[in-house]
Amino acid sequence: MIWSIRYLFFGLIVGSFGMAWSLPPAEGALLDGLMGGVEESLGKRAEEKGEQLIIGNFYQAERPDSHAPIGVMGDHTHNKGELMFAYRYMRMFMDGNRDGTNNVSASNVLSSYVVTPLQMTTQMHMFSWMYGLNDTVTLTAMLPYVMKSMDHRNRAGVKFTTNASGFGDFKVGALWRLYAFETPSIGAHRFHLNSGLSLPTGGINPTDKTPLGNNSLLPYPMRLGSGTVDLLPGLTYTGVLHNVSWGLQALGTIRLGENQQGYGEGHRYQLNTWGAYRWSEWISTSTRFNWQQWGNIKNRDGQLQTTVGPMNLPLVQTADPDLQAGKRLDILGGVNILFPEWMGLENHLNVEAGLPIYQYLDGPQLKQSWSFWAGWQIVM
Amino acid sequence: MKTTHIIGIMGGVLLIMGATVAQAYTVGEVQHGGTIQGHVTFSGTPPTPLRFAVEKNPEICGQERSLMKVETHNGGLTGAVVVLEGVQTGKPFPEQAFTGHLPGEGEFRYQGGKTLGLQVKTKGCNFGPFTGVIAADEPVQFGNQDPIKHTLHTFSARDTKGTILRTIHNQDIHPQDTVDRTFDSGKLRGNPVVRLTCNRHDFMQNWLYVVDHPYFAISDTEGRFTITQIPPGTYTLLAWHPILGEQRQEVQVMENGELQPKFQFETK
Repeated sequence: MIWSIRYLFFGLIVGSFGMAWSLPPAEGALLDGLMGGVEESLGKRAEEKGEQLIIGNFYQAERPDSHAPIGVMGDHTHNKGELMFAYRYMRMFMDGNRDGTNNVSASNVLSSYVVTPLQMTTQMHMFSWMYGLNDTVTLTAMLPYVMKSMDHRNRAGVKFTTNASGFGDFKVGALWRLYAFETPSIGAHRFHLNSGLSLPTGGINPTDKTPLGNNSLLPYPMRLGSGTVDLLPGLTYTGVLHNVSWGLQALGTIRLGENQQGYGEGHRYQLNTWGAYRWSEWISTSTRFNWQQWGNIKNRDGQLQTTVGPMNLPLVQTADPDLQAGKRLDILGGVNILFPEWMGLENHLNVEAGLPIYQYLDGPQLKQSWSFWAGWQIVM
Repeated sequence: MKTTHIIGIMGGVLLIMGATVAQAYTVGEVQHGGTIQGHVTFSGTPPTPLRFAVEKNPEICGQERSLMKVETHNGGLTGAVVVLEGVQTGKPFPEQAFTGHLPGEGEFRYQGGKTLGLQVKTKGCNFGPFTGVIAADEPVQFGNQDPIKHTLHTFSARDTKGTILRTIHNQDIHPQDTVDRTFDSGKLRGNPVVRLTCNRHDFMQNWLYVVDHPYFAISDTEGRFTITQIPPGTYTLLAWHPILGEQRQEVQVMENGELQPKFQFETK
């Protein structure tokens, strides 16, 4: 199963970057004109119903659910010349440890490690831009500012907190329109490829005061970036019919090599599916399921202290490269609000919050409790 | 590669180029040209005009708008596009303008000369009349004289009924802005019909027939049309209406001759 998912993402990588680099700058959806059989069939059905079949329309009507729940990125494309700026705030809270699908108490963890994390809060301010380069490609860029805080306790019962903050990895990408079709009775269906690169602008050697010293190198979960150039392939499908809209998105984060600290984070795969209902012209609500799985760290950071004392006792599990993998299914509920047009600008205010309903961690690791997203999107 | 192969390839390229050049319309002197003065009529009951409650920008577009898809006066059909097919040399494109229905004040202006030179003036939430013509591979100027944004959405239609529409452009046109967009023949794929809509105002709908020469006319309010300076010869005369379909008839244009063909459309 895992290997088939990997092959799927490998295919997406090859496909999306192949599109990006080998095809001439086309104007229009990439699969336009290659779906003759589908169009014949859909066209015949539309004609029988006295409807029109429209091919290649990627226009997102100005409705609250024209954008996916705020936690989803790269969900829509833009018309040529259209610019969107978005600000997102994300807060994620982790509380307690888990090994596999079982919760593990702090004292239990402390029987194997000198220190255990108790809680962690991650906050991100994300600034992103989307620009419709032409009728095929929408360019994207995103710069996050990351703040992490982790509470710990050691065997002696001493509690301490470490903090790290700074800019994370800068992501650039392109969304490639693949195909779109719609009729009044079956609604609109749109497909696009996601492609991107994550550039290692986030710090991978944050330090803070710990019982070991004033400038201790913090372990992997406290790092602000991956330290590697990562590929970001994906495939997105969205649909809309009357007051209902939905979407499905597969995204990957494929790490290329190892970073300057000598390790490489594990690949990450995620699958989003969501549905939204538009209650009025200005408000919609959504439900989203987000499946993520991520791998362990390859090699290790040689500068990171992993044991302590003459007995070489394991220091903390967050410093163990083999205790980083996991998989999780989250359920999230959201609200999207579309504000009245002001000076020709389209304004969306969206919030979303959720919690895991399944969590398997190659632990002991901190387990996620909840996450919250809020964002403002301005389309110009 | 053998010399014969190279000669063969070059010959093929030249043939293709020659064919392409041969298809392009050229402006030249027309001597003893003929005239067609025809009439397009409609029998039956035209569909009731569609009514739209205006959701966006009612302060500019009005609270309610209507769209008359089949317009008749005294049995004459307004807005039928009549095209003499297959003319390759002849008169220059005429300069002419057609305005939309009030309260819209949109206009299709054809600059004329060696090309059609279509300019679409958007005003009062209206692109122009319900029907018109357009040429491939030359820029069409879309201007927005409204103080609000319009989102131009253009399609090519695989048949004249427009059952299958393919998006060509999706383009915001900001207030007082003008954009040039070309309808590439590669994207039209030989489709004869272009549709214009505004994604923000669903009552803004127009249909354009693709022409490559100036021997066309659009029937007036009484259904009458005139095509002048036609090089003598035998042609197919097409009458097209986006709702009612198309009809063709053979015509033989004599030197200085005048023809009075009639087309009659019926309720579908």
